[in-house]
Amino acid sequence: MAAALELRCWGGDWGLPSVHSESLVVLAYSKFSGAKLTVCPIDWTWKTITASVPELLCGDAVVQEPAQILHFLRKQRFNADYELTARQGADTMAYIALLEEKLRPALLHTFWVDAENYSNLTRPWFASRSPFPLNFVVPSRQASAALSRILVTKGEAPLHRISEVEGKIYSDAKECLNLLSYRLGKTKYFFGNSPSSLDAFVFGFLAPLFKATLPSSTLQSHLKQLDNLTHFCDNILAVYFSAQNPSLPPPVQETMDANLQKLTQLVNKESNLIEKMDDNLRGSPQHKTHRAESRARVSTVTD
Amino acid sequence: MSLAAEAFVSQIAAAEPWPENATLYQPLKEDQILLSDCASSLAVQAYLRMCGLPVQVVCRANAEYMSPSGKIPFIHVGNQVVSELGPIVQFTKAKGHSLSDGLDDVQRAEMKAYMELVNNMLLTAELFIQWCDDATAAEISRPRYSSPYSWPLNNILAYQKQWEVRRKMNAIGWGGKTLEQVYEDVSQCCQALSQRLGTQPYFFSKQPTELDALVFGHLFTIITTRLTSGELAERIKGFSNLLSFCRRIEQTYFEDKSSST
Repeated sequence: MAAALELRCWGGDWGLPSVHSESLVVLAYSKFSGAKLTVCPIDWTWKTITASVPELLCGDAVVQEPAQILHFLRKQRFNADYELTARQGADTMAYIALLEEKLRPALLHTFWVDAENYSNLTRPWFASRSPFPLNFVVPSRQASAALSRILVTKGEAPLHRISEVEGKIYSDAKECLNLLSYRLGKTKYFFGNSPSSLDAFVFGFLAPLFKATLPSSTLQSHLKQLDNLTHFCDNILAVYFSAQNPSLPPPVQETMDANLQKLTQLVNKESNLIEKMDDNLRGSPQHKTHRAESRARVSTVTD
Repeated sequence: MSLAAEAFVSQIAAAEPWPENATLYQPLKEDQILLSDCASSLAVQAYLRMCGLPVQVVCRANAEYMSPSGKIPFIHVGNQVVSELGPIVQFTKAKGHSLSDGLDDVQRAEMKAYMELVNNMLLTAELFIQWCDDATAAEISRPRYSSPYSWPLNNILAYQKQWEVRRKMNAIGWGGKTLEQVYEDVSQCCQALSQRLGTQPYFFSKQPTELDALVFGHLFTIITTRLTSGELAERIKGFSNLLSFCRRIEQTYFEDKSSST
């Protein structure tokens, strides 16, 4: 815990701290668990081709892969899953597996294989963030890695061509998004009121898809229709990644709002009670005779 | 299959009831079949038995090549051929038999997530142990896989399959893992399954679903198969509720089979 934690990742754009899904997962988890990371974007350095991103450096230890990094952070006592039950921990593993199997191929395809998106958005972005002469090499390398991954994992015979695999992976991804939406329901985070590692993974996968300005994407429009998932992403961005980076005020504001709500409820209740008492009084027999008397008195006066 | 073709096939499937002569094809049981294929095949058999659909198991040496997707097992029903558990579940659903109808949306999401967990972890681990561990590959997998064929075809096919599986492991990031790490991943996966199962008879309380069939297929096969090292089986036997789960399903659905042996 004494050694400083340094994270190497791709830089940010489109309102996100990083455009790379796996780096976003680690960044989100570090915010949730309160770990202080110094973020070193590898943009414009030769690390764009040498480093495997994301990478966590802590003293002498070098950890790669989001799952390993999260495990390392947990061992350093930065644990956002502290309050989860054993069953919720099991659910976390299952949902992460679902994301990896069903959503990741479609995301890779949307960003790296789809010709329009790749040439208009992804390649210019990554090329502009790589130093010369790597800007010719880095994007195409990543694109071919993405394509081979999709074909090797999903393109079993007879689906050898990418066009046949496309239909399947996009329908799987849409189903996965629907399943996530059902699971999230109306709650703020997947397990109660505080975010956990599952929220970090879902955020990391969904946020680039949500925020990137993709020229053509049916998957993005499908995601935008699922309101609870888009609110989930916006909420995490607003609470944990806003410009001033406040980590304490939001809880305070929440308690203030809660107190205000309670006060208003009490006042309303009291005024309701008063009204009821008023009605009861008006309806009571004593009051009626009193009014009859006063009416009688008035009529005698007017006579 | 493309989406339109799939929709077309399910339309046709819905038209006919389940015939008596449905067959399930898998590689030769004694000599050829490997751990991962055996697990998948047992999962499908368990699922069909849970649905109450009769199916005959036929062993063929070239089952892998007959399958439309190259994966084992596949079923031949009427004039259609469907392979792998996912499409088979959809196919039986089109015919009106489904185990997961009683689940609500959140439970169905959980079920699919856990099925992906099993596929992602257990199946990948089985493939890794079979083909990426040199000892197992040389002693068990290659000889068994190529046993129906004569030289030099057996060498060529075995090495081709090994190369394919290793390529896939590299693509998904398992290429650099050691055997210990894989055993550890399997333990974690089983722990997650064990915690999800708890003390219930099946994963979604009283009725079995396709998740139960899948988990049974994999766990039962791992426990009852002899590999070069028994560590994998030992790790699974450490979870008593999973063991009793497997025994329960075996007794309920495979009783006639085990009593005849």
